[in-house]
Amino acid sequence: MVQRLLSSKSLVKHFKMGVSAFLLMSLVLAGCSQGDGKKTEAKPQEDKSAASDLGTTYPLKANKGITSWESLNNNAVTFFPNLADTPFGKTLAEKTGVNVKYIHPNDQQTKEQFNLMIASDELPDTIEYDWTGRSAGSYPGGPQKAIKDGVILELNDIIDQYAPNLKKKLEADKELDKMVKTDSGKYYVFPMIRNPSGLVFRGPMIRKDWLDELNLPVPTTIDEWATTLKAFKEKKGATAPLSVTYTGGNFEIRDAFIGAFHTSNNFYIDDEGKVKYGPVDPQYKDFLTLFRNWFAEGLFDKDFALTDSKALDNKILTGQTGATVNLLSGGMGKWMDAMKKQDPKFELVGAPYPTLNKGEVPFTGQRDFKYNPGPSKAITTAAKNPELVAKWLDYAYSDEGAMLFNFGIEGESYTMENGTPEYTDLIKNNEKYSLQQMVSIYSKPNGPYEADERRNWNTFPQQDEAVKIWSNTEAEKHTLPAFLTPTDAESKELGKILTDVTNYKEEMFVKFIVGKEPMENFDQYVSQIKKLGINRAVEIYQSAMDRYNKR
Amino acid sequence: MAKHPSRVQHATLLPAARSNTTSRWGLLKDIRKNPWLYIMLTPVLLYFTVFHYYPMYGAMIAFKDFSPRLGITGSPWVGWEHFESFFQGIYFWRVIKNTLIISFYELVFGFPAPLILALLLNEVRKTVFKRTVQTLTYMPHFISLVVVCGIIKEFTMSDGIVNDLLSFFGRERVSLLLGPEYFRTIFISSGIWQNIGWGTIIYLAALAGIDQEQYEAARMDGASRWKQMLHVTLPGIMPTIIILFILEMGRIMYVGGEKIILLYNPSTYETADVISSYVYRVGLQEFDYSFSSAVGLFNSAINFMLVICSNWLSRKMNNTSLW
Repeated sequence: MVQRLLSSKSLVKHFKMGVSAFLLMSLVLAGCSQGDGKKTEAKPQEDKSAASDLGTTYPLKANKGITSWESLNNNAVTFFPNLADTPFGKTLAEKTGVNVKYIHPNDQQTKEQFNLMIASDELPDTIEYDWTGRSAGSYPGGPQKAIKDGVILELNDIIDQYAPNLKKKLEADKELDKMVKTDSGKYYVFPMIRNPSGLVFRGPMIRKDWLDELNLPVPTTIDEWATTLKAFKEKKGATAPLSVTYTGGNFEIRDAFIGAFHTSNNFYIDDEGKVKYGPVDPQYKDFLTLFRNWFAEGLFDKDFALTDSKALDNKILTGQTGATVNLLSGGMGKWMDAMKKQDPKFELVGAPYPTLNKGEVPFTGQRDFKYNPGPSKAITTAAKNPELVAKWLDYAYSDEGAMLFNFGIEGESYTMENGTPEYTDLIKNNEKYSLQQMVSIYSKPNGPYEADERRNWNTFPQQDEAVKIWSNTEAEKHTLPAFLTPTDAESKELGKILTDVTNYKEEMFVKFIVGKEPMENFDQYVSQIKKLGINRAVEIYQSAMDRYNKR
Repeated sequence: MAKHPSRVQHATLLPAARSNTTSRWGLLKDIRKNPWLYIMLTPVLLYFTVFHYYPMYGAMIAFKDFSPRLGITGSPWVGWEHFESFFQGIYFWRVIKNTLIISFYELVFGFPAPLILALLLNEVRKTVFKRTVQTLTYMPHFISLVVVCGIIKEFTMSDGIVNDLLSFFGRERVSLLLGPEYFRTIFISSGIWQNIGWGTIIYLAALAGIDQEQYEAARMDGASRWKQMLHVTLPGIMPTIIILFILEMGRIMYVGGEKIILLYNPSTYETADVISSYVYRVGLQEFDYSFSSAVGLFNSAINFMLVICSNWLSRKMNNTSLW
């Protein structure tokens, strides 16, 4: 009986696959009559008279809640499954008078879950996601297309009418205003605005205690790095002296080390102000050769491409790795914190972006723009009451809201001292939890609001120092603005080219480094990328950038 | 639409009733004769109609430029564009080749493994030992795939247990999952470990169905254990083997993408990237649903043909077939 049941079950399963192909033809030929038509019509604008009893002061007189799709901070997840349950979420609901049902994607699958949500018919009122279309992790085709696809609303009128606080900020800052709209002048998100000192937050870091022990300086040039890593390997027994995470095609080294060769791991702007694609530059080969050698010599992680953030944590904390490229607080701060008790000597310091020649200003590095697209919220076409959503979002840009989003609850997570907010001991000197963990539940580390210049999450002086070191680059000149908006047709073309190019490039990239592809094939690799249409992609970015500069 | 699975279901559950259902009247008569069997069948039919046949109309996006907000019917038609770009893509031959090779290895190494284990177990006379082995071997089947792949990753890292072993024998430590040359071995052997026990259940059930008198007769004729296995056991379960083999043929173009995706990385794409992982990467991750559907559809069409062919062959050769 078992046999029969089992075989018949899988039998049907397989039969189904076959039949599916067969039936499909007839279905396609017959054309389909099932109605999906409702999606094609744009949602009519809401009746404004009905919605205006919300009032203009907080808390709003909202009798209905809204839904919001957004990532929950990695640290917050360990305390609460939902933002609504955190002290921050509760206070926000109380202050704005709006009950929000938060939908959180799984941290590892944000992109997939976003894509599935868009493909399904069920959109929440607002979505916190990168809409720029600049990378695989953002809405393909960019904001222009998202509006045209009927996913999100154009916000010009909405911001004008219902978001006075944000409007004020945009009017006051023309540079920011340029970043958050499309070429045709459409607003599409409630942006996260970074504070000036929050623009640089990642870079190379290295074990200072090891350096001191070995009597070595903090390395600045590629040669010095090689010496240092060799010493780590031989004298400190590090099995992966330099290790950087690589997951889902994202090599988190970004442009460190690559920048030493005056190129980038992606599109960048060269000295003449022209857009270029780094991985086809001749000098990119030098970078590949360097890392190939380091990999072979065991200076660079032998498990490269398999190292995710958990594996890296492990390598750093167990002394297998002495240098990496990572985040200021999510990396450096986290590790120093974790080792505070176990090994008081453990010390990480920021190292300058490596250069080829001593004294050179690094060609590029991490430097972000004031507008941070990832944690910015758009209002979807499914929003039944855009006014309510907009007013709820605008709260974050008000003076009162800014305090909540940045510092949390007065008297609980911060107190005002001489007009300056100071974190309380609950946050700063918590016995059990780190500052990062605490701020994640009392405030919103990333989100659509303006980050406060007075906010400082650095728990170690080494962090303040690192920011200064990492800031000294020509990144501003060489980084492609993240908010270029190619036209619809361009987007589509670009998407296709980039899918092919990135797929191919990543594969070859890893193979070159781990030595599975002879270096002689670099020219072939370049011509293959050219064949896939990289020149056209560069052209598109160039024209998009020209338009951006004219905004 | 739902007629095919119903007949298949029916045919396997009630082989004897098959000839009665050839005419429409025969079917009605049969329903009247065995009403409960048909009632029991209804949920299954409903399940397939609702979850497998109804959604199938969506496969038409393979011929459209699908945009989620325009919906399945609202998106514009583009004809064979996606098929063409797949066939002309630089990875077409590679994913086809990898799919075929991995499937072939699965067929050659993976398919006989449970059969051999079942035959071995069948010869074991100690029930306690037999049960223990059975339980132990089918345990891995219940471990979540993600966990299995996590274990594999840990074991094959440059400081993992496999490398500990290799370095004991003087080999250099290498991260095994970074080597395209090791991927298939890792994939197939871990697959056997996962599924061997589970696969034997079917064979053991078939083995239990063999008439004991045949063994007795064979023993009377002086057949050794080996001869008994060759001439009684194997022929006894041959129909089961053949049916499973036909089903396996239908999976030739379908390699479990999840496991590949969990184990591969850019440096092993060369040997690891199969149709389903490619579809996942390009489609779900890059948002190109139409393209993925086109590839998936192409895949299903080939599978369909393979099942038909192997079924036809098997019927010609030894009269055992699915339908």
